[in-house]
Amino acid sequence: MRLLVIEDDATLRESLARKLGESGFAVEQAADGKEGLYFALEYPVDLAIIDLGLPEVSGLDIIRKVREQGKAYPILILTARDRWEDKVDGLSAGADDYVVKPFHFEEVSARVNALLRRSGGWASSVLTAGPVALDTSRQELTVNETVIDLTSFEYKVIEYLMLRAGQVISKSELTDRLYDQDFERDSNVIEVFIGRLRKKMDPDNSIKPIETLRGRGYRFALERNQSG
Amino acid sequence: MRSLSSRLLVSVSVLLLVFFGATIAVLDTAFSEAGEQARRDILDGHLVALLAAAEPDDNGDLMLPDRLREPRFENIGSGLYAELRDTNSEVLWRSRSALGLEIPKGITPDPGNHLFARESLEDGTPLLSLSLTVQWEFADEEFRPYVFKVAESLDSFNAQVAGFRRQLFGWFAAVALTMLLAFSMLLRGLLKPLRQIETEITEIEEGKRASLSGRFPTELTGVARNMNLLIDSERARSDRYRYTLDNLAHSLKTPLAAMRALLNDGQSGGFSGRFNEQIDRMDEIVRYQLRKPAASVADKLVLKPVAVETEIARLVDGLRKVYRDKSPRFEVSIASGMQFRGDTGDFLELAGNLLDNACKWCEKRVRISIVPSVGASGVASGMVLTVSDDGPGIPKDAADALLQRGMRLDESTPGHGIGLAVVKDIARSYGGQLSINTSDLGGAEIMVSIPPIANTRTL
Repeated sequence: MRLLVIEDDATLRESLARKLGESGFAVEQAADGKEGLYFALEYPVDLAIIDLGLPEVSGLDIIRKVREQGKAYPILILTARDRWEDKVDGLSAGADDYVVKPFHFEEVSARVNALLRRSGGWASSVLTAGPVALDTSRQELTVNETVIDLTSFEYKVIEYLMLRAGQVISKSELTDRLYDQDFERDSNVIEVFIGRLRKKMDPDNSIKPIETLRGRGYRFALERNQSG
Repeated sequence: MRSLSSRLLVSVSVLLLVFFGATIAVLDTAFSEAGEQARRDILDGHLVALLAAAEPDDNGDLMLPDRLREPRFENIGSGLYAELRDTNSEVLWRSRSALGLEIPKGITPDPGNHLFARESLEDGTPLLSLSLTVQWEFADEEFRPYVFKVAESLDSFNAQVAGFRRQLFGWFAAVALTMLLAFSMLLRGLLKPLRQIETEITEIEEGKRASLSGRFPTELTGVARNMNLLIDSERARSDRYRYTLDNLAHSLKTPLAAMRALLNDGQSGGFSGRFNEQIDRMDEIVRYQLRKPAASVADKLVLKPVAVETEIARLVDGLRKVYRDKSPRFEVSIASGMQFRGDTGDFLELAGNLLDNACKWCEKRVRISIVPSVGASGVASGMVLTVSDDGPGIPKDAADALLQRGMRLDESTPGHGIGLAVVKDIARSYGGQLSINTSDLGGAEIMVSIPPIANTRTL
């Protein structure tokens, strides 16, 4: 998952970015509204965290422009102005949720996860499809109620695929969204991870959770048990 | 006498009364004097005629003929009388008209002199009389004094004067009334701009217009301009106030957030835990103080109508996003065309906090109803805002504590207490109040009632 953090306070931004990184997200940082707007429009982004009080271009303007351009990814506002007028302005402009400063990181992280899950069409924090269940809050994958031991990168891959269950995800999209910018891109790595995931989740090749569409990418193929 | 026009009308009436009174007195005197002079001239004429008609008789006394040329001397009670006396006041002759009447003797003037006098008959009829004492020269060159006296009843003259007065009063009353009428119409015209200013100020208070129109006579443009300046500066002040608070909030809270982030980067020992508590407290203080009402009824001129329905729709849309996992069912009922007189931010703060709490605590249902307050009508009316939910509700003693001190109800759910405290403060600044009850949905029902502006008029 690639997140964009637009926040002008360096301490806050860096701390947020580092912690989100530790939670397994690829994070882009922008220190002002102008840069933020550019990133928000041009970069592949799964979710943006936007401070409302930004220099150059205001947070509200960024949100409006992002929505005008038809970008539908969830937006979480960070705001110091916690009068309802400001929150409602932000939400009407196209944001999906808000966190009021000063916040606990856990609050931001919980809201980010909830927004990502909802944007994939999942109502509950446990994504279940057939025998497969992914608990996004505990970051735990079970198949037939057996816990599958995953590396953090494997987890990121299966989470991304499951959040977008039913959609075809290209290899390049996966590398874009899962690696940090400076990571060396090699699509073979993705193939290796998909192979390992298949082996771990479906050793006897009976449930076939991940489908390969030649030349197009991958798809999480199991029917969702519930949807939002 | 609080209105300018009644003051003016009363002063003008007094002025008219004095002026017309003096005029009437002068005219009346002039008329009476002129009338009396005319009477005297007539009497003088009669006297001369009598002198001409007088002749000595056979007894060597002076006598007047049986019939005189003037018919009024011949008709009994005609009002014109004449007599001839000697200096011993012995009546020698009396006109037939004076038959049965006693003409008062009065004062006998010195020989050769005229004397006018106001006298009266026995029955009280007023008389104007003219006496003349003459030294009559008889044929034997003997001179003997005689007193000629003519008198005329003043009844007809007085009646004439009374008639004249009646006419005078009648006309002056008519003129005065017409003048007052014309004056009050003039006044209405003159005071129209003042009334317009008053109407426009009321409209500003009711939120129907933003400033005074420029269409006033020169004398009032200054007042209107200054009034507009005042309104603008009031609005600017209230905007600036909010802007300052906003900046303060932003500049205080970002460092607080950064401090927390820095703290939590380190290991979470007892020290950082206690530090976090302090940050929480600071945050709470800042939040509470900065979310205080922006406007109040004291700023009536600043208040603009808030389209309640639009703002609630925005709020509900926003909350639907925030509480998408729970997706509460909103039941919104708003009186059509409902407006709130006040600051949009304050209104959103009222409704936002209440709805947010309701969403937080509800099982599935959140109900909001906004109606004008009872007995009020029009845009200047008050508002009763009720938000209820089907959650666990607020226990009575906790509700009392909340209303009294504005303390947090539940330390683990930040926002409930502080939200209500803010709501209470805002309601109070608009002269309203907050009450906490149990909803028929099963949960809390929080009602904010804001009285109509008119009822809070303090000026």
